Amino acid sequence: MCAAISAQEKLQAAMQHKIVPNQEYLLQGSVLDSSKDVLIHRLRGLADNVDEQVETFQDRERVLTLGPVSGQTLTLYVRQAMDVRPGMDQSDTPWTMRYIGQPELGDKSRPTVLRNSIDVGCTPNVLEFLSEMGFKQDYEFMCKGLMFRKGRMKILVYKVYKNKTADNWEPLSMSHVVELSVLAPQGHDAVAEDVRNFAEQLKPLVQLEKTDYRRL
Amino acid sequence: MSMQREEKALDAALDAFSQRLNDLKQSIGQTLQKLEAGHEHMSWPSLLDSFALLSGQLNNLLRVLKNEKTPLLRNRVTLPLLLSPERDEQLVRLTEGRVPAFAHDLVPHYLRTKHDPMVEERLQMVESKAASISADAAQKQVTAMNKVVNNLLDTIQQSREDWESESARAQLSQTSSVADTQQLIAAIGTVPQVNKAPSSIKTNIKANIQTHPYK
Repeated sequence: MCAAISAQEKLQAAMQHKIVPNQEYLLQGSVLDSSKDVLIHRLRGLADNVDEQVETFQDRERVLTLGPVSGQTLTLYVRQAMDVRPGMDQSDTPWTMRYIGQPELGDKSRPTVLRNSIDVGCTPNVLEFLSEMGFKQDYEFMCKGLMFRKGRMKILVYKVYKNKTADNWEPLSMSHVVELSVLAPQGHDAVAEDVRNFAEQLKPLVQLEKTDYRRL
Repeated sequence: MSMQREEKALDAALDAFSQRLNDLKQSIGQTLQKLEAGHEHMSWPSLLDSFALLSGQLNNLLRVLKNEKTPLLRNRVTLPLLLSPERDEQLVRLTEGRVPAFAHDLVPHYLRTKHDPMVEERLQMVESKAASISADAAQKQVTAMNKVVNNLLDTIQQSREDWESESARAQLSQTSSVADTQQLIAAIGTVPQVNKAPSSIKTNIKANIQTHPYK
């Protein structure tokens, strides 16, 4: 118990000193499947992991909500890696839970969307745990794609699949999602410029923009 | 008085000249170093930059040479007064170790004002061959040559236009769709319930995070 308190205190202190990288600077866009290879080719040239094999991922993401309790709903994203690596059991694959805050668009001078984002690793029983807390699954989807790195930036190119029945996943639209993001502690607004500059290099192939969620 | 003025002009010209030559020498050195040390990682643009610099500096040099204020250097005579096979430390230093002694075998090369005899001979051959053709025939050849070159130029420009319009079209062709972007982003659902107020748990988290940079 004592250890738990001190861990919480440490977290509080870290928050107060603004060293927790919980701010996500984000730009989003999409690329048509037909042009995806061109984009991948360009990213291989621009990103850091040129020499290595590009990292792939396949995640199943469940969106869970709690509430509404007095008109308020909390949403959490639980992700389960589906690409079983050699020597691993399906039950060994990593699970993560994610909280995403209200996105701030800011004015035109802000290069990126800014939102709170907290990712934590979990045990596979996280779903049971959340269900006990009263969370209900809202919907789910599958992401399959590639990950690139450029400094602190993360670039994801992935296809989204939706399921009508339990194991029948169908691709959504003829495009791949492209996401460019950096996680940084509060006040590191300079990294947003890096994100914008990188996005400029992908034009006109992909238009990475601040998504105005209210207009969707 | 006029002698003095001429001297001054000559000094100034030589100064300018040696300055330009030094610049050129440095750039050549840098280019060579780049080629030797970094040829594995060198990019075309960087090599082209180096060459552009060299060409620019050569032009500067020629401009100084052709400047009206520069006295005609060809009217000057450079005359070796003393040749010596002994090693001359000062000379070594001045020439950065290239010329150890002002000796008989080197001086003719360094003070040469004419081409190498071999080059001269070949030049002579070409010139005599050119002279053997009648002016009329030469004119005809020039016209024919111009015609060929112009045709070639037209062809190249045509292909360039074709290529550019093609690549412009390729660029115009759609590589992304706004509608798809919106559909996908809506589907991955990182869209908080905007109409609803933030939950109490969310408020807690916010309280811990303290001031938001936008507020």
